[in-house]
Amino acid sequence: MALPAHISSGVSAAPSRTPVYALVGNPNCGKSTLFNALTGLKQKVGNYPGVTVEKKIGTAYSQHGQPITVIDLPGAYSLAARSPDEAVTRDVLLGRRADTPQPDRILCIVDATNLERNLYLVHQILDLGRPVILVLNMMDVAAAAGLDVRAGRLERELGIPVIPCEAVNGKGLIELKLAMSRADLPLSRHAWDIPAPIAPAVAELQASLTANDRKPPLIARAEALLLLTDQDSVRVAGSTPLSARTTEILQGWQKRWEGEGTDWAGTLVNSRYDVIGRIAAEAVTRAGHTGPTASDKIDAVATHPIWGWMILGAVMTLLFLSIFTLAEYPMGFIEDGIASLSDWVKKDSGLPDGDLRDLITDGAIAGVGGVIVFLPQILILFFFIGLLESTGYMARAAFIMDRLMSRVGLNGKSFIPLLSSYACAIPGIMATRTIEDQKDRLVTILVAPLMSCSARLPVYLLMIAALVPGDRVPVATKVGVMILMYALGTFGAFGFAWLFKRTLLKGAPPVMIMELPPYRLPGLKDVALHMLERAWIFLRRAGTVILGISIVLWFLAAYPKAPEGATPQQQLAQSFAGRAGHALEPAIAPLGFDWQIGIGLISSFAAREVFVSTMGVVFNAESKDDDTTPLRQALLATKWPDGRPLFTPLVCFTLMIFYVFAMQCVSTVAIVRRETNSWRWPLFQIAYQTGTAWILSFIVYQAGRALGF
Amino acid sequence: MGRVRELSGDASFCQRVREMGFGESAFVTKVGGSGPFICQVNGTRIALSHAAAMGILVEQLGRR
Ligand SMILES: Nc1nc2c(ncn2[C@@H]2O[C@H](COP(=O)(O)OP(=O)(O)OP(=O)(O)O)[C@@H](O)[C@H]2O)c(=O)[nH]1
Repeated sequence: MALPAHISSGVSAAPSRTPVYALVGNPNCGKSTLFNALTGLKQKVGNYPGVTVEKKIGTAYSQHGQPITVIDLPGAYSLAARSPDEAVTRDVLLGRRADTPQPDRILCIVDATNLERNLYLVHQILDLGRPVILVLNMMDVAAAAGLDVRAGRLERELGIPVIPCEAVNGKGLIELKLAMSRADLPLSRHAWDIPAPIAPAVAELQASLTANDRKPPLIARAEALLLLTDQDSVRVAGSTPLSARTTEILQGWQKRWEGEGTDWAGTLVNSRYDVIGRIAAEAVTRAGHTGPTASDKIDAVATHPIWGWMILGAVMTLLFLSIFTLAEYPMGFIEDGIASLSDWVKKDSGLPDGDLRDLITDGAIAGVGGVIVFLPQILILFFFIGLLESTGYMARAAFIMDRLMSRVGLNGKSFIPLLSSYACAIPGIMATRTIEDQKDRLVTILVAPLMSCSARLPVYLLMIAALVPGDRVPVATKVGVMILMYALGTFGAFGFAWLFKRTLLKGAPPVMIMELPPYRLPGLKDVALHMLERAWIFLRRAGTVILGISIVLWFLAAYPKAPEGATPQQQLAQSFAGRAGHALEPAIAPLGFDWQIGIGLISSFAAREVFVSTMGVVFNAESKDDDTTPLRQALLATKWPDGRPLFTPLVCFTLMIFYVFAMQCVSTVAIVRRETNSWRWPLFQIAYQTGTAWILSFIVYQAGRALGF
Repeated sequence: MGRVRELSGDASFCQRVREMGFGESAFVTKVGGSGPFICQVNGTRIALSHAAAMGILVEQLGRR
């Protein structure tokens, strides 16, 4: 993003390109909120640590309209990264990422309600020797908590601009933009005295890093300090290994300190805390002692060993209840709309009877329409997930689950990626970057797709509609079946995590340290934006992938043409799609599935909801009459060749179980490949999930048959 | 209410606990929980799993 030459001033010191700012801060201090306010982008914001796990670049404009590049980074407690998301932040700051411009200046965001802890990272950042602007965010929360945080005092102590701000309401943004476009920013004049026993080692390492590892002199000091505080020095060095000379110096000092009994890493942290503790004490005064806060009171119930579980259960039940009851009407509208559109094309559009008309009605409309019907449910699901994320309950759910998770060898933190996977496994797998332990992270990635994602929702809903037809059945039964499916996936995930932790990926029981953010009123704008975004993704997928597959499928189902006079069923049976289904039938017949379902199983490897569109295409192609029937009725009318109904309750149930476990999503496979850096894990995942799906479906179907269902 | 006396456990765990403000001589208040715990350190609430809490030795300062 280079600036046109005529804008860059001739003054030597002025940057000749757009200045690059990095946004850095502790998790959940409001970085993404500020990033969105500065750039007008819509990065995801949520009230729990670890929302952002990858850098994001945007452009802000100064008060004078000059562009400024801003990089949003994952939250970090320290430059000594412990998890992959923190490593992204460290690497961008140290200029190790080839795909990201090295930031010229740094915006440090701190949470004013917890100045001391937040200043730790700031203190490390100051060591990088770049101009820093300190943003005191959440001033409203600090004021409400009776804290008086004096920006002027901090500014004097640190020697850098300090700007109080409330990122959510855009307060302080103008002052911040003015500071950002200043041509010269003071470097911190605060001098930090590295503790005496360690200073010589830092100097020696710094010299060696400059000479032997070609680090720029300023960064070399920060790198030297990192080498001492991080246990895994190879990791610190980035992808290029440390030079032999530097390693030698490092090990020499470590040996010496070990002999003397000096805890060098601890000394470094403590001496930083001494400095920042003093600064924080100067800058913050607490107006009297405040009693327990609202968050304290809510937490007394929400994290209670018994009440906590009941609340979690109630939230889940409410979610599924709303999916069934609230979605009823909008779903009816959409269904009617699609049916009349299809009828219009058939009867009144003037299109001649023939393949083109059939392609539109039986391919495109039947396929896409079958999926779009579920938009209301998807919206409700994301509304709830948005509420959970925005209020801060997400971290509490993880806390409650820790006890269970530790039984299977993971910690509560792994539950947040798993919870996100209810929406979609892809953000869930991205969110595993917050997990420190490599093996724990891998286990979480492996089991995340077992959590029922929103793409399964249409499949479950269709099957439940076919399973318990009509309105005779109380909503409770439907909700019960739904909860059962979600529970199966969840406990399946726990079971496999337990298995993997004991066999493939053995490791120590993990320790969890996780910040619990204060409860906040849900940001309705954030929730709405998130819902709209997901709805848009859903519709876009329906309009592209699913439309494409439906059309292709229609061709595969319509060709080669059967001889004149064949019934639609015979036509489908001898088509390409039918032949593929027939080829698969021997493998799935023991599960009670016929070749037509087989076609759905094959096509839903692209994405699970394609099953629904495929059924739409397959069964609409079969129906002879010119009226479009809703898919659920078409399913119920389908029979085996010998006249038995195909979609018996047992088959529907078995099919749902198959979808709970089977790995059917190309995008997930691609993400797992990227995040684990090998094909080994995604292939393993496909094998174990699909294998489990088959075995469990087999057991359920055969047992059900034996019991007379 | 208590004060951190000693940290034990693997080095990288100690490092992070210190960096999060749990260093020696920090004041902590146990807010809740029995399996996993919730502690209040310096205005933030931090959840600690049982194993993590075992690594942090706290000297009790007064009754809650
Ligand atoms: N009251 C108040 N809330 C804020 C302010 N700034 C941000 N928030 C809220 O703080 C929460 C966290 O904001 P994010 O922008 O997601 O934080 P982040 O630092 O990007 O978080 P990570 O991506 O997890 O590192 C959200 O619920 C915001 O609405 C503020 O100035 N005042």
